[in-house]
Parts: sequence; structure tokens; C-alpha cells
Amino acid sequence: MDGEKKISGMKNVFLCIVSLAVMCILLFPIYWIFVTSLKTEKEIFQIPPTFWPQALNLKSYAAQVETGDFNMFQSFANSFLISVGATLISVVLSVPASYGIAKFRFKGKKVVLLGFLVTQMLPVAVLLTPMFIMFRNMHMYNTPWAAMLADATIGIPFSVLILKNYFASIPGDLEEAARIDGCNRFAAFIRVLIPIAKPGVMVCAIFSFLYAWGDLAYGMTFILDQQKRPITAGIFNFMGQYGTKWSYLTAFAIVTIIPVAIIFIFMQKYIISGMTSGAVKG
Amino acid sequence: MKRIKQFFRYDNVGWLYVFPAFAYMLYFVGYPILQNIILSFQDVTMRTLTSPDKPFAGLQNYIEIFQDKVFRTSLTNTLVFTVSCLVVQFLIGFALALFFNRNFKIAKPVRGLLMMPWMIPITVTALMFKFIFGTDVGILNYILSSLGLIKENIEWLTTPGTAMFAVICANVWIGIPFNMILISTGLTTIPKELYESASIDGAGKVQTFFKITLPLLRPTIESVLILGFIYTFKVFDLVYVMTGGGPVNSTHMLSTYSYKLSFEMFKYSKGSAVANVLLIILLIVGSFYLRATKEED
Repeated sequence: MDGEKKISGMKNVFLCIVSLAVMCILLFPIYWIFVTSLKTEKEIFQIPPTFWPQALNLKSYAAQVETGDFNMFQSFANSFLISVGATLISVVLSVPASYGIAKFRFKGKKVVLLGFLVTQMLPVAVLLTPMFIMFRNMHMYNTPWAAMLADATIGIPFSVLILKNYFASIPGDLEEAARIDGCNRFAAFIRVLIPIAKPGVMVCAIFSFLYAWGDLAYGMTFILDQQKRPITAGIFNFMGQYGTKWSYLTAFAIVTIIPVAIIFIFMQKYIISGMTSGAVKG
Repeated sequence: MKRIKQFFRYDNVGWLYVFPAFAYMLYFVGYPILQNIILSFQDVTMRTLTSPDKPFAGLQNYIEIFQDKVFRTSLTNTLVFTVSCLVVQFLIGFALALFFNRNFKIAKPVRGLLMMPWMIPITVTALMFKFIFGTDVGILNYILSSLGLIKENIEWLTTPGTAMFAVICANVWIGIPFNMILISTGLTTIPKELYESASIDGAGKVQTFFKITLPLLRPTIESVLILGFIYTFKVFDLVYVMTGGGPVNSTHMLSTYSYKLSFEMFKYSKGSAVANVLLIILLIVGSFYLRATKEED
């Protein structure tokens, strides 16, 4: 509550130590599965538990490549394909839609906005069965398309609502200037407005990707074959079959976190901006 | 023709931009919701799932689920789960937001790192907590017994009461960053001058908190709690992966029970009815949020 005032001296040191302690406690679970993934199955069950592996064991990662049944790298590739596809659909549809909502006063705008707001609240349970029937009729059941199309429905409303604020904050003069220079409105949108709204587009792309990457319900319901399933469904299946093989399970989990961690390290500012501008998890 | 021309004059051109996304959502979300409502008034099983004519059942499914003990348990469980999570994650999130709002050296980067739990795929979080709460392998039992708090290892996930405790803990872990970051943003909107003049007037820390911080944060707190309710109430992945609704239905939520009815027992219509009850509750709570955001605009 001391706001802008910089805190210095002993108090600063004290607060730093407390904050590091809080961080260690809250992030311990992540550290713990990481260490576990590097241990042998025997060491995992050892009492007292070791906080760093006695002997580094990378077998849990290597073994996955060899065995065909639960190849986590295959699942990883599936998830990647599905998430990138969902992100593309979401961004391509949301960018013009949010521009339209921000800059035009068309009839029925309120209904459209309300629609996007409400879809963010929907429980997945409402959509699963009808979507399941729909994808079967469309012959997309058990293909990555089903998960991709379904995952995009989480990204779109989020992206539209975030991006519309970005577009609304761009002054109308800029658009005017582009039109005087001979651009029509669409060209001005493509050449002038989208580049300015780029940080917003990044936020949308990142969140659409993360939503799709984290999805379990759609992936496991619409895709039947283990070889085609996303990585989250892969972990779930693996847990069901080898519930206590913790070295493999934690390795699986770490591989799933990798893209999230990469995004987190390199694009943290987008994440915080996305979360605070009404960002909500699907 | 003239009418069409008139429609596209002025701002109705906006529709051209909005239409693709709107149509997509209508087709992949709007239409399924309608289908789900229809489904809940029919009697659909494995055999009739994709056939064009499905037998009409009227209110039968709804009557049956309200007589169903597991449904009622799931409803209570979802409420208990949601309220417990909301209270705990809000208090911890609030405390952390206040703490990291102080301008010490590493406040910002550490707060940034604390976002991690929110971003990790929920399936991984579920696995993580299943491991931590494990009976023989779990670190929690080890810590508790080395502190002398327990004599025998607790079977957290296979005992009804403790299983609920475990899923609540896991969900709170995800919810803390969400609460913390939204309240942090709310705190930055409070003008600094207010605190300065309060301290000149000789107000203590506790007094400033209750007289300035809390009242000015009210809109933030409201939206955090309503949004939190919505996202917690529809929990699915976390519970489905951690306990699957067990032991003895003690952690079944409306969403997991609906999934079980539809995709494990193939009682699609009953599953849809349960999902619709969940939807109605969410829409009622959500309407408060919509009203709040409307006031902002």
C-alpha cells in the first residue's frame, strides 16, 4: 500500500526474502514433478524423499520414444497441430470481428456482444454431446479437425472481447488519414489498424493457443485413437493404465508444460495483459 | 435492391466484418446448445444417437435426475467445492496482491512467476496434486508424519471427505494467481493521493484499508468473485482426472456426473439434462456479471 515509494534498506531485504519464500511454497509442485521425472522409480518411493535425484535418470523421457503405445512425442505433435490450427481459426475470425464491433454502429451489435460474453461462461458439458453428434455427422469424428474446430470456440469469444478494446483505443484520425491517402476502409484496416493492434493480436494468439493446448474434454471425447489424441488426453490414458508409474507420468507432464513455459518466459507481458483485461479461463 | 443498398450504407457494413466469427460461433456453439436442450427432452441412447428420429420423453429426464441421489450429491458437491475454493483463493489472492503491491525490489518479477500455476494445463495440475496427495508416494503424507501430525499415512484420494479437500486444494492453487492479478490491477486504480491525505489525517493502516482500499475495490472484488464462481462451478478436467468423481461419488460435480452419464453410461439425454441444470445456474450468476459490465460501459 506504500504505492510508488521505493522501499529500501532492511525492510527491502526482508520483503524480498518473504516473497521468495512465498514463491518457493507456491511453485513447489512444479519443481517436485520436474525432479521426480529425473528420478528412478525406486528413488521416487524412497523415504525420506530426495529433493534432488541421487543419480540422474533420463530413461523416462527416452523410453517414450521407443514404445509405440504411449508415445508422448506423437501426442505432443498432435496437440501442436490442433492448437496451431485452433489459434489460426480464432485469430483469422476474431480480428475482423473485433474491428467491426469497435468501429461500426451496426444493427444488432448489442446482441452479438452479449453472445460472445455468454459463450465464455458455457460449461463444456453442455456442448459435448451435441458437438459429438455433429462431428460424427460431418465425418470429422476421430480426426484432429474435430478438436481443432471445437477448441477455436474457446479462443474466439475471448479474442473478440480483448481485441475490440484495442481497436476502440485507436483514434479515428489515423483511419481518416489512411483513407485520404487513397486507401478504402478495408485496406486501411489491413494496412494501418492491424499493425497498430499487433500487441492485442499477440495476446489473442497466445491465449487461443494455451486454451487449445490445455483442453482435455474435447480432445478425449472427439478423438478415439490414442495415436491421434492430444497430449492431455495421452496423460489421462496413461494414468488410467500405469497409474503408479510416476517417473513416466511426471516426464509426460513436464513435456506438456514445455511450450507453456517457453511462452511464459518470452511473452510474459502479453499474458499479464491478457489476464487483466477481462481475461478468463475457459 | 434499394433496401439492400440502404442496409449496407453507413455502419451496417460492420456486419461484414463480424459475420464470419458470429456465424462460426452460431454453428459450433449456438446450434449445439439448442440441440442439447432438445436432447434433454428426448430419450436418446447409443442406438438412437445418430438416427434422425429420436423418441420424445417430455420432462421425464428432469424428473429422473432430481430423484437421482447421485445428482443431488453432485449438486451439493459443486456448491461446497465452489464456495470453499472462492473463499480460500480470494483471501490468499487478496493478501498476496497487497503484499506484492509494495514497492520492494523483486516484487514484479516474482509476482509474474506466480502466474505459472494458472497457465499450466489443468490435466498436468491434476496429475501433480494426485502425486502430492498420494498415499505412499505423496510428499504431503511424508511432511505431515515427519512433523508428527499423523501416525499413519492418510489415503487422501480414496477417502470421501479428504478427496474433496484434495481437489479443493488443487483448484485453489490454480485460482490464487487469477485472484491476485485482478486485485493487483484493481489496486493500481486507487489514486495515491487518497492514501497520502489519509495518512496526513492520522489514519492508521487498518483504518485506511477498511475506509479506502476495500470500498474503492468493490467493483473489482465483485467481478473477481462472480467470474471466479463461474469458472469454479463448471470445473471439469481437474476433478475428472484427479478422482473421476470418486470415491463413492463424493467428489462428483455436475459436469463430471453429466460426462459420466453421457459418455460412460451412454444415457445421453440424462447427461444433457444435468448439463442444462448446470448451464441455468451459470446463466443466473452470469447475469449479475453482465449487469456489472454494462454499468461500466
